[in-house]
Amino acid sequence: MIPVVAMRLLAAAGLAAILGWGCASDTPRDTTRLTVGMRFEYPTPNELIVQQTLGHKAITSQLLLPLMEEEPDYREGPPSWRPALAETWEFSEDRLVLTVRLRPGAVWSDGQPLTASDVRFTWQAQTDPDVAWIHSYAKEAITDVEVVDERTVRFHFSRASPTQLADVAPEAVLPQHAWAQRPFAEWRGDPGWFFERLVASGPFRLENRTPGRELVLGRNPDYLEADLPRLQRVVLRTAADGAALTTQLLAGELDVVTGIGAADAQRIEGRTGLRLYAYSSRQYTFVSWNTGRSSFEDAATRRALALAVDRQAIVDTVWRGYARVGSSPILSDVWARDPEFEPWPHDPEAARTILAAAGWRDLDGDGVLERNGEPFRFELATFAGAAARWDAMQMIQADLRAVGIDAQPRRFDPNVLLPRLLGNDFDAAVSGFAIDTSLDLRPTFHSESIGGGHNYAGYANPEVDALLESVAARLDPVAGLEDLHRLQRILRDDQPILVLWEPLTLAAFNEDLESVEPNALSPLANLQEWAWR
Amino acid sequence: MIRFVLRRLLAAAVLFLIVLTLAFAVVALAPGDPMAPADPRIPPEQAERLRALYGLDQPLPVQYLRWLGAVALHWDWGQSYRTGQPVAELLFDALPPTLLLAGAALLAQYLLGIGLGLIAACRPNSRLDLSVRVASLVVYALPTFWVGLMAVLVVAVGLGLAPAGGMTSAAAFELGPAAAALDVLAHLWLPALVLGLSMAGDIARYTRSSLIEFLATESGRAARARGLSETRILLVHGLAHAAPRLLQLASVSAPLLLSGAVVAEVVFAWPGLGTATLLAIQSRDIPVVLAATAYGAALVIAASLVADLLLTRLDPRLRAE
Repeated sequence: MIPVVAMRLLAAAGLAAILGWGCASDTPRDTTRLTVGMRFEYPTPNELIVQQTLGHKAITSQLLLPLMEEEPDYREGPPSWRPALAETWEFSEDRLVLTVRLRPGAVWSDGQPLTASDVRFTWQAQTDPDVAWIHSYAKEAITDVEVVDERTVRFHFSRASPTQLADVAPEAVLPQHAWAQRPFAEWRGDPGWFFERLVASGPFRLENRTPGRELVLGRNPDYLEADLPRLQRVVLRTAADGAALTTQLLAGELDVVTGIGAADAQRIEGRTGLRLYAYSSRQYTFVSWNTGRSSFEDAATRRALALAVDRQAIVDTVWRGYARVGSSPILSDVWARDPEFEPWPHDPEAARTILAAAGWRDLDGDGVLERNGEPFRFELATFAGAAARWDAMQMIQADLRAVGIDAQPRRFDPNVLLPRLLGNDFDAAVSGFAIDTSLDLRPTFHSESIGGGHNYAGYANPEVDALLESVAARLDPVAGLEDLHRLQRILRDDQPILVLWEPLTLAAFNEDLESVEPNALSPLANLQEWAWR
Repeated sequence: MIRFVLRRLLAAAVLFLIVLTLAFAVVALAPGDPMAPADPRIPPEQAERLRALYGLDQPLPVQYLRWLGAVALHWDWGQSYRTGQPVAELLFDALPPTLLLAGAALLAQYLLGIGLGLIAACRPNSRLDLSVRVASLVVYALPTFWVGLMAVLVVAVGLGLAPAGGMTSAAAFELGPAAAALDVLAHLWLPALVLGLSMAGDIARYTRSSLIEFLATESGRAARARGLSETRILLVHGLAHAAPRLLQLASVSAPLLLSGAVVAEVVFAWPGLGTATLLAIQSRDIPVVLAATAYGAALVIAASLVADLLLTRLDPRLRAE
């Protein structure tokens, strides 16, 4: 009898211990630690061998500093740069040489000095064909990186351009003494190796890593800014599902969650103890009308399509207000946006009038317009997995149906649809782009980018080509402002694409965190200054 | 017996090869290009370079033979397009959490199912029996993801009786072995219970009908005539009678458990094969999706094989067949 009772007691104690452990969230907060939930893995600190996403970059910049960091001041003017590892920089008179002086006292977390040789080694890795860095094109204009002395490095360019600093500055400087031990040809074979040889120059260093689950960053005592970071430790946890992360945030198991969906944002909004940030993502979603198809060949018809679609309703319904109505590939909060730019309103009546003037009539009475015997019927394609786009496409279909156009939404695997878009083999398609601050629109609107490039619509306008080239050639982007304004007006009138919305990035933070300033460049921007109240 | 085992092993290997071939064919013959650059700034030559790097510029039969050869000789499933990690390493990290969750769920479903079946069989056609039968049907009909979501919201967020997600607490690497084990158990019990519930109803119904059937047999009547207690009759003789059928159920429930584990992992942010597969699917990471499919198939084949072998051990007539 006694053993049975003992066993029951033991079982009850075990259950209590397990449940008690599960209830541990009631314990006081550890104010030295921050726990962040993210929807991606961080497989390697070597950004040259992975798809470089904003999330990946946000973590790498905590471990490895670049020469300079972009300021989030794109509203006021072309991007400016603040020093990171670089102390000063200066162009030669012909702008073909950039001399960068490194900050004194910069060391890796193993005590080795961070020198100009590290900068040269980074450029060699970035341009090495075996490393096959996906953004190596950004270094095309750099012909050499010369080590002048331990703290001075010279970048030699083949041509001057407005993006020279952006070509040099933003990537992490890599530790030559630690990573040169492995030949470039072997870098792609084992991304995990770089964790084993990781020495940090940023505010944090790697403390622990559980692959696929968790990354623990600890304060780097050798960081250049003596009083920073203010947090002792940051724990980054991975989950595949955004809703699961939001639930953990609501349960108090996470302090920060980035990349929240609009539906989950509503669960967070108004919750005591949490703050929701909605900020520009520098992205836009648009419909490309294939101008090679007879239905979309004339600008008048494309303008009618813009008038027919109620984009505000999409933003209010699909995005629950967490987006801005789009109208131009130069986004609404970018410095070069034309202040007098008037987006097309939602006006189905005006759309019907324009369509009639363009020769579209419903002669057979089936509710669908025809021109030259061809019904206005087309496939509206998008990528599978983009739920918001798919929902929006149902609304677009209804809006177009109301003016006599039959759009058939279809989803495709990205591996299938992307080559079709690049080959202009589609009717109309909804997709999205992230846009950097260089405002170089040549890859998306220049006629040379048709067939293989990202000018999906197959749009060709000699005046636009000339304006794009003029803007790209100006060393001072501000001097090209009038060209950029003219460009926006032409694209508005020609409507090769209909910009639907500019999504906002959503991130939630524990209200007790101070100095939190996420921005379009990074949700963890200024993480080194964050602290618990 | 050895010949029988070898024959079954050979059949399992052939089946696995067929699954591998079909999975490769489906992926390879699908239209599209996984290296097409989504970023407008990336020049087409860069995509060409990556295609060559991953061997996608080779004819399909060459790609297939290389892939199969690497898998068979070195267990090398290639590299993730997204993260660059060796796929075998990535899935090796993800497999133990899935096996732990599925194993715990299997245990939960058998403990719950057999327990409820016994209760129902003790008093057939009573209110209690009816309640167990109705409850088992309801539980069987409810989708795992919905039960999981409700469990997280009510048990974890509402009542605070379990963590809302993950396999460990943050920075659990600092805990000692006992505390770490307790931490994992605290995170495990709710997803395992939710996952186990889906098949527990089935097991309860099978247990009940087997036990009632046994009590009506000559053996059951003889046991009662010998004056054995009802508990002993049901627990020892009755369950021995039900064992082959329950084992057969294990081979059926293995695939369901694994597919359910994928769902449960997503809902509970459990870092296993399901999470790795979902992340791979979201980013069209074909090598990982292919390998995850193969791992899933291998687990199902292995579970069926083990169940078959155990069944044969319990019932030698099957070996003769």
